[in-house]
Amino acid sequence: MMLVMLRVMALGLWRDRAGLVLVFVLPPLVFIVFASVFGAGASGTLDIRAQVVDQTNSADSNWLIHSLQQRLAGRLTWSPDIAALEDAIESGQADAGLILHGDLLETPTPVTVLIHPGRRAAGEVLTAQVDAAVAQDLPELMLRREIAHLDPILALTPDQVRRATTLPFGLASSPPLVAQRTLPGSDPLLVYYAGAVSILFLMFTAMQGAMSLIDERRAGLRLRLGLSAGGIAPLLAGRMLWLTALGVIQALVLFLVAAAAYGVPLLANLAAWLATAVCAAAAAAGIALALAGSCNTREQAQPVSTFIFLILAAVGGSMAPRFLMPAALQSLSWLTPHAWVIEAYQTVLWRGLVNTTVVQAWSVLAGFAAAGFLAALWIEGRRRL
Amino acid sequence: MAGEQSEVVLQLAKAVRRYGNRTALDQVDLEVAKGEVYALIGRNGAGKSTLAKAAIGALALDSGSVLVSGVDPGRDRDVRREIGIAPQEIALYPHLTVAENLDAFAALAGVPRAERASAVARAMNETACAQRAGERLDQLSGGWRRRANVAAAIVHRPRLLVLDEPTEGLDTETRLILHHLIARLRADRTAVLLISHNAEDIAVLADRLGVIDAGRLRVEGRPGELMARAFGGRTELIVQLSAASSSAEPILTARGLSPSDRGLCWSGMVVDALAQAQEIETALRSVDVKLRELAVHPPGLDALIGWATGSAGGPGKA
Repeated sequence: MMLVMLRVMALGLWRDRAGLVLVFVLPPLVFIVFASVFGAGASGTLDIRAQVVDQTNSADSNWLIHSLQQRLAGRLTWSPDIAALEDAIESGQADAGLILHGDLLETPTPVTVLIHPGRRAAGEVLTAQVDAAVAQDLPELMLRREIAHLDPILALTPDQVRRATTLPFGLASSPPLVAQRTLPGSDPLLVYYAGAVSILFLMFTAMQGAMSLIDERRAGLRLRLGLSAGGIAPLLAGRMLWLTALGVIQALVLFLVAAAAYGVPLLANLAAWLATAVCAAAAAAGIALALAGSCNTREQAQPVSTFIFLILAAVGGSMAPRFLMPAALQSLSWLTPHAWVIEAYQTVLWRGLVNTTVVQAWSVLAGFAAAGFLAALWIEGRRRL
Repeated sequence: MAGEQSEVVLQLAKAVRRYGNRTALDQVDLEVAKGEVYALIGRNGAGKSTLAKAAIGALALDSGSVLVSGVDPGRDRDVRREIGIAPQEIALYPHLTVAENLDAFAALAGVPRAERASAVARAMNETACAQRAGERLDQLSGGWRRRANVAAAIVHRPRLLVLDEPTEGLDTETRLILHHLIARLRADRTAVLLISHNAEDIAVLADRLGVIDAGRLRVEGRPGELMARAFGGRTELIVQLSAASSSAEPILTARGLSPSDRGLCWSGMVVDALAQAQEIETALRSVDVKLRELAVHPPGLDALIGWATGSAGGPGKA
């Protein structure tokens, strides 16, 4: 009996092309967008476009601009004057602007970065690139600026000052004081968003399938199904099984894209991933069945479920990382399946562990699934035909 | 009562079902025997669908009982396999083909896997929808869908078949196919509860007829006997006026007609309707009242319902 329902629902999806796109194509696409945005942000390689106005037109400024053009891979272009630069930033042609308005040696602050209030991050990146260019690519410029500042204190001889300030460009930069080393493993934010996008879409996919309950009531199918020998429970269980299987397949498609495109270590942790995926899909299925059972019409179920799922996604960390949330909201997020799903995937895939946190997450998700299923069973059993 | 038919398949006794303050079924006693077609008629909201749901155990009663083959279908899952229902809506999966739908419902009704293919083929043959076996429901016309809807109700050979308006919107050919099917099921000793507004269905198929109103079964009996009891030799006379007229009122009320449609339409059951019609035409002309239409009809189901519920002077209010 459960298999009959499984087959009926599988054929329903197979023959619904729009549904197939929604279930299997959209989630990886959204993940790629999230991964591109947040992955790039986390690695500090935002591809900003900038324009520069050079009011000094000195050898120093030309060297600085040349260095920046290389650092920004050609995305630094010239602007004729400050007004044009402001226009370019306002209109979105440039993310940030650079004004070289004073002698780089003599003027205390010879460079100004123009920042659009809606794109502060771009301004920060450009500022950092200017600092890096001066410190790493033009060390002699830094040296001359420092000597100019230190001369009154150190009382350098005129010959010392002459030798230091006439150094040609091309001086090898000093070895950096601080080195960086990135730990092995995939980007935690990518794993985070793979889990976050996965549970977000699991909910909507499960709801789409669970709404067949409403269609069946409308079409009188519920009357006919009620005559089945096993009663309602196996029919609901068949649905639950299908929605869970569908959710796992959907999650697999998404994580395969994440593994192929971003190196998320899926295959190395496949068993633990599968357990997490099953628990997550079952939780989504249970909640969706309970919701669909509670609603009388699709018109009622669509907005109600969308509202609830978006709230759960926002609170649970599917839209923004939980570590950015206030402490109270972080605590509240544990009431959502999303937080548990994300936590389980992160622990399993990024840390490569199956620890008590993961087992706890599986248990909570299984609890969501069981509670949702029992609620749906109770509601359907009491529903007036 | 089932009359001379033996072995009652469906039995409702003092069945009561309430929705809040509204009583949908009120002390209903009804029996359908093996090989009997029991037709149930009534106005919208009279309780027909509620009775059908109660009969298959899909609706719990507030009091009274419903038994199918002597067992409560609400409690006993096994007896549900002996019931088939074709709801008024097309209760099939639109994305499945006819054959896939029938296969699914055969499986849900407990038909063993080995027998399922032959059960599906038989049901499709009996409802003449085999030629569309491989087509999806949502690609079929209304008539084919309705055939498939009935096929799904009989695919597991039920002992009790509940048909809710099975011929609604069908062409003559499809209606005849369903008439033949129901006649064959009756011959095979299937008990049929038929809910229909179609006079032809009732005339051709019904062994007994019940009229339900406000949840109460007002009258029941053989259709011919009920019509004779209700109307004797009387015929329905309908008078349509071009404009409402106070001069026409005494002429029409004197002949037992009652008004509707703001006094533009008058109707009633009369003896010797043709003579009465001529008299009315002459009398109305004499007072300068223009007739739009004057018609004589044999009494139909609506008239019978009117008589049974007391709105046409029948036994209903007694």
